[in-house]
Amino acid sequence: MDINRKDKIFHKYNEGTHLIGRIGLAIGILLLVGSPFLMGFALDAMPNLSAFAKGLGKIALVYIPSCIVEFLIYTPMLGAGGGYLAFITGNLINMKIPCALNAKEIADTKTGTPENEIVSTLSIATSSLVTTLVIALGVMLIIPLRPILEAEVLQPAFNNVVPALFGAMATRYFRKGKQIVAIPLVLMSLLFVFVPSMISNVAILMLVSGAIAIAHAWLRFKKESKKIDVNNQNSNEEQ
Amino acid sequence: MKILDQLNSWPLFLISGGIILFVALLSIVFMVRAYKAGVAIGMDKTKLRRTITSSATFTLLPSVSILLGVIALSGSLGLPLPWLRLSVIGALHYETSVADIAAKEVGLTGLNISEMSPEAFTTIALLMSVGIIWGVVLMAVFGKSYSKKFQSKPNVKKSGRSFGDDAMTAMFIGLITAYIGSYIGQFVQLQKGSLVFTGEYLQLIALIFSAIAMIIFEYFSNKKNMSWLENFSIAGSMIVGMAAAVVCGIIF
Repeated sequence: MDINRKDKIFHKYNEGTHLIGRIGLAIGILLLVGSPFLMGFALDAMPNLSAFAKGLGKIALVYIPSCIVEFLIYTPMLGAGGGYLAFITGNLINMKIPCALNAKEIADTKTGTPENEIVSTLSIATSSLVTTLVIALGVMLIIPLRPILEAEVLQPAFNNVVPALFGAMATRYFRKGKQIVAIPLVLMSLLFVFVPSMISNVAILMLVSGAIAIAHAWLRFKKESKKIDVNNQNSNEEQ
Repeated sequence: MKILDQLNSWPLFLISGGIILFVALLSIVFMVRAYKAGVAIGMDKTKLRRTITSSATFTLLPSVSILLGVIALSGSLGLPLPWLRLSVIGALHYETSVADIAAKEVGLTGLNISEMSPEAFTTIALLMSVGIIWGVVLMAVFGKSYSKKFQSKPNVKKSGRSFGDDAMTAMFIGLITAYIGSYIGQFVQLQKGSLVFTGEYLQLIALIFSAIAMIIFEYFSNKKNMSWLENFSIAGSMIVGMAAAVVCGIIF
């Protein structure tokens, strides 16, 4: 396809995505913040705003920094369409991010390209719809499902969904970046073994291990690019 | 009327259901637009359909664990609020802890249905909704300018290679290694000057067995020309890892 035409189509699509995304998120925020008041109207009991303000102070201290970090890190991973949808539907780390990365692998697209943007959006939209459907069905069928889902024998399975997910993803990603796995893995393991109180801060510490891995990957990228440039220069000189 | 009956009443289901429906419709709009745009720029339809299939299978198991979160919270908050919280913006690890903080802030000893009142409930609902909303606000305000940086200026060096993919791989490796480190730290840790095995090993079992299953799936998918397996490899590996945790839980 003609590159200019493709750019034009994608530019139009992208602008539409931002418009719909922004309007959709703004409505979503209003609905979410308004829902406790609507529930309060139905129950004839409005939220206690002074207790809310005190509680928000505590919660915001922990969650505003992590929300900022999530926005900065996950948006480049998800792209625009995927980003809007993933942030409004939630469950990023335990579902949306691995799902989008898995789709990227299967579709074999490159970060930052229109194809990747489309694959990421399709993947997050599908994931959101499936989750909504599963939870809605679960809520409707809660009476017959509850004894199965709460069976003691099955708890080790449901308590370990995220480790199982990371095990499968690790196989794929450790193979792709095998040269950069060792340092963050050893450092993080030693940190958590010797300072177990840090385990509860894993969501913040993943930024540290991510930064170490990115720095290592950058050094390797620069080294390899230099090598390729030198090789290209040599072959040009030979010609 | 008992408090749990009030929290499970139809008006609350309608409020939660309406908001969830809005977000589901937004997902459908994004999905249809992305599919059409993909076809318009010349992407292979089979590839687009594979993306949908693999994402759907990938999502099934984590969705069941989220449903468990809804069930766990429904005992103290009724069904409509946890259903809403875990379908829109929510995060499994966030909701339970914030609900607990919020309950204590409104004067309860914890998330406890025997102490719950309609006012405590609506205050908890407001705290749970607003406490985690910042990522969405940032995305709505800065998402356009921030995401465009990564689309319009790919970091391409003279050699023609892009660092973008390497950076994403590295970031994800950083994320996984932090979590694996935390599982190791939960199993063996320094307590009072000596290393102690805590018995918390099921995360590592699930992780290791899932990884082994993934190696086997990838072998058949790549070496035996069974590429259709790729769509189900993550979900299949997760089932193996979770099953291994159940078996170990029964045996030990």
